[in-house]
Amino acid sequence: METQKTPMLELIDIYKSFGDVEVLKGISAKIAKGELLTFVGPSGCGKTTLLRIVGGFAALDSGQVILDGEDIGKLPPNMRDTKMVFQSYALFPHMTVAKNIGFGLKLQKWPKKKIEERVGELLSLVHMDELGDRTIDRISGGQQQRVALARALAIEPKVLLLDEPLSNLDANLRVVMREEIRNIQERIGITTIFVTHDQYEAMSISDRLLVLHNGIIQQIGTPVDIYEQPANEFIAGFVGYVNFLEGKVTAIADETRTVTVFTAYGNLELNHSQFDKSEKGDEVLLVIRPETIPLSRSDGPTQQNTFNGIIESFMYAGNFVKYTIKIEDKEMIVDQYNPKDTVKFERGDQVKITVPRSTHVLPKNTAIEHV
Amino acid sequence: MAEAVIGPVSGNSLWYQVRAFLNAKLVHIFAGGLFTLLAIFLIYPIAAILIKSFWGDEGFTFDFYVEFFSYNFYYWSLINTLILGTSVMLMLVIVGFCFAYLTTRGPQWLRKPLKIIALLPLAAPPYIFAISLITLLGRNGFINNFFDLDLNIYSWAGVITAQCLAFLPLSFMMIENVLNSFNPSLEETASDMGASEVRIVRSITIPLAAPGLLKAALLVFVMTIAEFGNPAILGGRIPFLAPDTYLMITGEGDFNMASVLSVVLITPCILIFFLHNYVLKGKGYATITGKGMAAEPKPMALAIKIPFLIISVPVATMVLLSFGVILIGSFVKIVGVDNTFVVDHVMNTQSNIAIWNSVKVSLGAGGVGAIVGTLLAYVIMRGKFRGRQIMEMTALSGFALPGTVIGVGYIIAFNRPPFLLTGTIWIIILNCVFRFLAVGVEAGISKLHQISIEIEEASADLGADFITIFFKVVLPIMFSAFVAGFIYTFMTTMMSLSSVIFLTTPGFDLASVYIYLTAQLGELGLASATTIKMIAIVAISFGLLQFVAKKTGLDVRTKQGA
Repeated sequence: METQKTPMLELIDIYKSFGDVEVLKGISAKIAKGELLTFVGPSGCGKTTLLRIVGGFAALDSGQVILDGEDIGKLPPNMRDTKMVFQSYALFPHMTVAKNIGFGLKLQKWPKKKIEERVGELLSLVHMDELGDRTIDRISGGQQQRVALARALAIEPKVLLLDEPLSNLDANLRVVMREEIRNIQERIGITTIFVTHDQYEAMSISDRLLVLHNGIIQQIGTPVDIYEQPANEFIAGFVGYVNFLEGKVTAIADETRTVTVFTAYGNLELNHSQFDKSEKGDEVLLVIRPETIPLSRSDGPTQQNTFNGIIESFMYAGNFVKYTIKIEDKEMIVDQYNPKDTVKFERGDQVKITVPRSTHVLPKNTAIEHV
Repeated sequence: MAEAVIGPVSGNSLWYQVRAFLNAKLVHIFAGGLFTLLAIFLIYPIAAILIKSFWGDEGFTFDFYVEFFSYNFYYWSLINTLILGTSVMLMLVIVGFCFAYLTTRGPQWLRKPLKIIALLPLAAPPYIFAISLITLLGRNGFINNFFDLDLNIYSWAGVITAQCLAFLPLSFMMIENVLNSFNPSLEETASDMGASEVRIVRSITIPLAAPGLLKAALLVFVMTIAEFGNPAILGGRIPFLAPDTYLMITGEGDFNMASVLSVVLITPCILIFFLHNYVLKGKGYATITGKGMAAEPKPMALAIKIPFLIISVPVATMVLLSFGVILIGSFVKIVGVDNTFVVDHVMNTQSNIAIWNSVKVSLGAGGVGAIVGTLLAYVIMRGKFRGRQIMEMTALSGFALPGTVIGVGYIIAFNRPPFLLTGTIWIIILNCVFRFLAVGVEAGISKLHQISIEIEEASADLGADFITIFFKVVLPIMFSAFVAGFIYTFMTTMMSLSSVIFLTTPGFDLASVYIYLTAQLGELGLASATTIKMIAIVAISFGLLQFVAKKTGLDVRTKQGA
C-alpha cells in the first residue's frame, strides 16, 4: 500500500485509560485511502476501544484522530464522517430493512424520492433487492449483517468501521460474508477499519494488519510481513503454529553472507539477510514454521542444517499430516501437505528434517512482556 | 465501555441553542423531574407517617408507641398479623410446591388445567374469596344451610382460607419458576442411580429449590400481612393491623395512632423488601449447565402423587367453587336461599357508576404510570449520575409498601397546602401510579436490557442527536414496555382497595370500595355482581397484556397488588 501519500486517517499518539487500567499506550498509525486495515489482537488488547475512539464512542485521554486532514478526536459520533457496523448490528427493530438503511439519509433531510433511489442501490449492492419491506426479525443473520453494512454505507462515509462484524455468524456463513465484505469494500474503494480477534480472518481480509497487545502496537504490516517476518515472539506465536529454537550467533562470514548459530541441535547456517544488526555472541530466536521444513526418510549421516529424528506421533488432518518429531531430546512440529503418493510416516520411523537457510530470526531480547 | 458522547448540533439560532441544551441535558432534566415526583409521592407520604407517629400536640413524643405496646387491643393486632402471615406463608409454600410440582412433573393431562386454576385468582381482587366464603359458609351460607352446619367463617379459619386462596398464584408462579429453572437431568441422574421419587424430591428437588422457596415464602408473608380486604371482611372481632389502621382513621380519627400502626406494619415489609432485593438477589443454584431438556413425562410414584393430589385438589376445587359462586350469586336473588334468576344485581346503577369511576381512575393511573415508569426505566438504565440505585430502589419500593400505609400517608401528606389533593380524583390516581410503579419500571428495564446500547450508538453514528435518538428510536422500541406498564397499572388499580379506601369521598365510590361496603352490609348479590364485572374488565386487560407480551417477547412479570 502506498502509505507515503497523504493518509485518509491518521492516529497520533493515542492514550486511553479506564480507571487505573491503561488500555492504549501511545497508538500511532496511518491508513491510506481505500485501504482495509485490520485491528487484531487477543481479547482485552484494546482493539475495540481504539475503534470506538475513531468512531467517537469513547473519549481519548490524549492524542489525535486526523480524518482527511481534520482533527475529529473531540467530535461526537454524529458529527464525524465515519460510520460503524456494530457487532450486534444494532438494527432498529421497529423499522423495516429499507427504513433502517435510509435512517441516516432521512436525518440528512434527503428528499423522499432520492432516499428511495439510494436505498434501492444499496439493497442491490448487498444482494437484497426484494427484501426492503421485511422487518428485521424476519431476515436471517447474514442478511442482518448486510443491512447493517448497507446502512453504514448509505451516507458515503469517508471511513467505514467494522466491529467484529462476523462474530455472530456460523462458521460457513462467516467465510461467505468475509469475502462479500471484501468485495464490496474493494468495489466502492472505501477506507475501512476491521476489528477482529480471529487471526485467520484478519489475514485473509486485510491489506494490512495492526496487531495490538497490551495496548501497544506490536507490528503493522501486510499479511505476508506478519506471517513471514514477525517483529517479535508474540507476533510469531499469534498467527499459526511456530517452532521456536533458541541460539547464539557464533560466526559471521560476510563473504558467503552466512551466519552460524549454535542451537540445541548443533550449528546452523543461515542467510545473513536475516540478521540486521546482530553481532557475534548475540542470543537469538529462530522462528521455524512447521510447513517450511522438508521432511524425508533418514538415509545416513546428516549434512549442514539437516537433523535426524524419530516420528513420535502424528495427526492426520486430511489436507496435511502433522508430525511430532523427536530430535535429540527436543520436539519439533512438522506439517507435511498431501500431494498424491506422498510418503506417509508411521510412529517410530527414522526421518530427517532440514532447517531452511532463510529461516526468520528474532533477537532474543524482543521477547515481549507476557501478561 | 458505554460512554456515548452525543453532542451538539451546529448553528446559532435560538432553536438550535435550545436544542443543543436539551441534547446535553435532557436525561438530567428527566432525572430531576422524576426524582422530585418520587420524593413528593412516595418518600414524603411515608416520612409524614413517621413524623406523625412521633409528633403529638406537644411536639416530639414516644407516647403513641408506649400506648401501642401497653394496650392489649393494639399489640395483639400486631401479634395476630404476624401469626396470620406466618401460617398463610407456611401453608402456601406447601400448597404452591404441590401445585408447581404437579404442573411441571405431574401427569401431562393435569398440567395445563391445574396451572390455569392456580393462576385464576390473578384475574380477581383478593377479597373475592371473602365474598365467596360468606356466600358458602356465612350465617346464611349455602353449605351451612344445606348440610345444616354451624361453621363460622368470621374467624381465623375464614381469614386464613381466604388469604391462602388469594395469594396462591403468587406462591405458585414463583415456585413453578424455580422448578422449571433447574436442569431435569439432575433429577434423572438421581433416578438413574436408583433413587426413588420420594427420595429425589427430598434430597434433590427441595434442596435445589430451597432459595426460591424462601423467596416465595417471604413475598407471601408480606402480601398477606399487608392485605386489607379479607381480614377486614372476615376478621370479625379479631384485630389485625391493616384493618385496624383503617378503623383508627374512619372510626376514631386518630391519625397519630394510625401512623404508629402503619409504622409497625411497614417495618417487616421494608425489611423483607431489602432482604429480597439485595440479600437474596441472585441467590439460588445456577444449574443451567449443558443442554437443558424438557423432562420426559414419566409416571409419578404413588407415594408422591397421592399426598400432592390430596393437598392440591381441594384447594383447586375451592378456587373454582369461589368463582362459580360469585358468578351464580350475581344472577340469583340469594344463593341457596332464593334461587330465582334476577338481573337487579348486575344492572344496579350504583354498582355501574362505581365500575365506571374505577375505569376512569384506572385509565388515568395507567397512562400516567406508564409514562413515569418508562421514563424512569430509561433514566435508571442509561443515565450517568449518582443516586441511580437510590432512584431505582425508591421506584420499586412502592410495591413493598402495604396499601393501607400508603393510603394513610397520602391523607396525612396531601390534606393541606402546598399539596392539597384530598377529595380530588388525582389523589387516587397518583396514589395508584406510585404504588404500582414497580412493574412499569421493570418492564422498561427488561426491554432496555434486550436492546443493545449499540442501537443508540448506531443512531448517533448515522447522524442523530440525542433528541432524535430518544424520540425516534428509544421510545418506539420501548413502546411495548409502555403498553405493558399501562395495562398492568390499569388492572391493579381496578382491583386496588386497601389504599384507595382512605382516599375516596362519599358520593365517589370506586368498584373495589363498593364491593367492600356491600360485602360488609351482607349485600352479597351486589358485591358478587360488581366483582364479576370487575373480573371481566381485568380478564380482558390480562388477555391484552399476554397478547402484547407474546407479540413483543416482553418479559412481563405479573405481580399482585392488594
